[in-house]
Amino acid sequence: MLLTLILLPIATAFLTLFSSKRMQYFLSGAVLAIGSYQSIVLFTSAENMSFHLSSLFNTVIIAADIILLLYFLYQGTKHNSSKVIVLAVVQLVLFLYIEHAASSGHSAQVVVDGLSKYTMEYDISSGHSAEIVVDGLSKFMFLIINIVGGIIVLYSVRYMEDEEATLRKKQLFIAGMFLFLSVMNAIVCANSLMLFFFLFEMTTLASYQLIAFRNDELSRTNALRALWMNQIGGAVILAGALIALRSANTLMFDTLLQHSGGMLLLALALLSMSALVKGASVPFDSWLLGAMVAPTPVSAMLHSATMVKIAPYLILKLAPVLGTTLLGGVLSIIGALVFVAASYLALSRSVFKEILGYSTVALLGLMMALAAIGTKETMMLAMVLMLFHALSKALLFLAAGVLEKQYHLKSIEEMSALVHRAPKTVGYIVLGFVSLTLPPFGLFVGKLFAITSVASLLRERPLLVIVLVSMVVGSALLVLLYFKVSSALLSNPSDTLSAERERIPYGYNIPLIFLTLLIVGSGAGFIIIQHNVLLALLAVPLTFVFVLPRVMRGMERYDRTDPYHCGEKEPFDAALVYFEPSVRVKRMIYWSFTLLFVSVAVIGGLS
Amino acid sequence: MIWVWIALAPILGGLVYGGERVLRARMQRRQGPPVLQPFYDMFKLLDKRTLIVHAPHALLGVAHFFVLWFTVAAIFLGWNLLYIVFLHLFAQMLLILAGYSVRSAYSHLGANRELLMLIAYEPILILVAVGFYLQSGSFDIAQIVRGGGYLVQMPLLFVALAMIVPIKVKKSPFDVGEAHQEIVGGVEIEYSGLFYEFLYMSRFLEYIFIYSFVFIFAGVSYGLGAALVAGVFLLVNLVDNATARVRTMHMVKIIYAVALSLSIVNIMWIVL
Repeated sequence: MLLTLILLPIATAFLTLFSSKRMQYFLSGAVLAIGSYQSIVLFTSAENMSFHLSSLFNTVIIAADIILLLYFLYQGTKHNSSKVIVLAVVQLVLFLYIEHAASSGHSAQVVVDGLSKYTMEYDISSGHSAEIVVDGLSKFMFLIINIVGGIIVLYSVRYMEDEEATLRKKQLFIAGMFLFLSVMNAIVCANSLMLFFFLFEMTTLASYQLIAFRNDELSRTNALRALWMNQIGGAVILAGALIALRSANTLMFDTLLQHSGGMLLLALALLSMSALVKGASVPFDSWLLGAMVAPTPVSAMLHSATMVKIAPYLILKLAPVLGTTLLGGVLSIIGALVFVAASYLALSRSVFKEILGYSTVALLGLMMALAAIGTKETMMLAMVLMLFHALSKALLFLAAGVLEKQYHLKSIEEMSALVHRAPKTVGYIVLGFVSLTLPPFGLFVGKLFAITSVASLLRERPLLVIVLVSMVVGSALLVLLYFKVSSALLSNPSDTLSAERERIPYGYNIPLIFLTLLIVGSGAGFIIIQHNVLLALLAVPLTFVFVLPRVMRGMERYDRTDPYHCGEKEPFDAALVYFEPSVRVKRMIYWSFTLLFVSVAVIGGLS
Repeated sequence: MIWVWIALAPILGGLVYGGERVLRARMQRRQGPPVLQPFYDMFKLLDKRTLIVHAPHALLGVAHFFVLWFTVAAIFLGWNLLYIVFLHLFAQMLLILAGYSVRSAYSHLGANRELLMLIAYEPILILVAVGFYLQSGSFDIAQIVRGGGYLVQMPLLFVALAMIVPIKVKKSPFDVGEAHQEIVGGVEIEYSGLFYEFLYMSRFLEYIFIYSFVFIFAGVSYGLGAALVAGVFLLVNLVDNATARVRTMHMVKIIYAVALSLSIVNIMWIVL
């Protein structure tokens, strides 16, 4: 089953290269159906699975890794980016060093098998821990990746029809999206640090290539920025792996996490720093914002719904150990502060996708904060937020893609009174916003429980008051952000003007309908499994949505009028408000977050 | 019995609103309207010809009223305080979306201000709820009002709450939502007749909503609760008569700088 999840997308990616449009729809539909089915079956099965990789396979991965790093080096020299070159060299050196140290240890084990003392010291890979381990967390991630990711691939077939590019390039794009699904499926069950590193770098490569897809100057610059920032993530993973090898003699997540003392926390600190980079936490937010120049399915898939979820995923993986340590405390505070800072920074943006990007950064911060607190309940809530965020953000991005392709709109400034022209698309967007903030939707319920959960921990860990307050203030700021955007979309002229009808092409509409159903269905399911009647009653106010169309007919008896303009002749659409921090404040924010980022390593090293 | 109170909540709020107008008039040495003026207004409004801009706009106003009523019912029934805060958020969002749904500068301006008011007071309400939770071990109002001594343990949270009461009841220095008709009524501008009556009654419910929070601070002793409500009521009106309105952003900054800090200090004090 696991093999299907990993190999099927690769096979379809290959087929896509030779297929027509109709075939592409079929392939992506099939991958969505099979992938969703498999991941649901896996999720409901209880047992964990583990697989050993053959040494041949390990060698192939090492070779692929070296090629990948050399490719980054080549890209660095080609585009004359010193940061990319330096980081690629650093990674290469670290990588070769670790592989050398690990393989010498490994062979030592083989040679002197009898000498138990020696083997104990160098008991590196093989033994009891396998390179691939599928546990509950991986199964959960499969759900997000294959269902949400599959829907996005389906959408991207239609999106590519409207894109100006050669047929070959379109095929490559869709093949790339398929390959990416398989990389994601693999990364969430990688137990070997080196395998994890390889796949992490593969996602970096995917980001880099797909951001540069449109191949203009802006895309190039942004792609390079994404590359070097993510390379920092790769470099710290390697540094973490090196420490893990030196102090705990292991390159496996599970054995590393069972260890204690030594430099364990430093290794974990370095690994979680890579999560902060991948999750585009401030001060690395600029790479994710720059990524918004990519085609919208890329933004949806990589930069919102699935790839950046590696960040909370990684913290969740480390959380059982991080939990009560100072390091875990610092990480949760950083996450919480990112939640507030990113929500605040988003208030100054006017490009729709950038606003969505910042809100992704913010919510990833919140998920990491909850994961790093490390109690069972908060970890569960972080997962809940991941799922519902993936669904809602995918919906929002796909709707943004419709606006981009059908109406050629990118900035919210141009979107005023859009509801008149595109009532359905605006409906999806407002639903997305509502599902991110208001009862009774899943993400809201997750946040609600998170407040309760953090409040209940306050007495034991007073420092969490920072997380609590950030959560409360950040949520309020996100409400302001989303509904500020709605203000532009919604202003509708009086009924005295006749309304237009909108038709969204099926290729766009079907994925949107899927996501809507999933948001509503899974939200309802989540509430039902809580067995909390009061919580279910939070859904009562929503009934008016269903009653509304019925009542609307009765509204015919009232006379219509035009809005009051106080004598002005000028028609009015929307007045958007922006809140921009001054340059000094902004610089201060970035510097403090850089300091906090570095402090993660320092605290990991000291404790 | 409790259902009767819930059913009568808008009328109760109306009496409070009428009483407040009398009180304010007396503070300014005016005669003022009769206490029942809000109800006379109701008959007048229902008698008028109702004009609407478009159906969703009018209906969102009605939905706002009913969700607010539901919220007040939840308070009377002793629900979870956090749910109540978020139900109230939902109700406010309906009003704000209604404000945005028409092409009117005043309506948009008003909705923008409502949104900023929301982000000012919401964190405080949640932190007050957290304070109650830390003291009583539960978010349920039914549980909270069985305890006591909140005023002693949460004085700063009480001050923070008192600071946001003027925002909710639209009193100086924070009456930014409509600003004494300076922005022609804000979100309310496009409502008339029957539908305006719904918004008018929502205002009564807001009184019940926010003063319930004040009331809970007394815990088990209802007499003290009544005294607290009366005290805050008097204070808010006194301040309303004595101060000028601040700008919207200024209000947000004041609330975040003062009320939020007070709440945090109080919570730290409880947990340490």
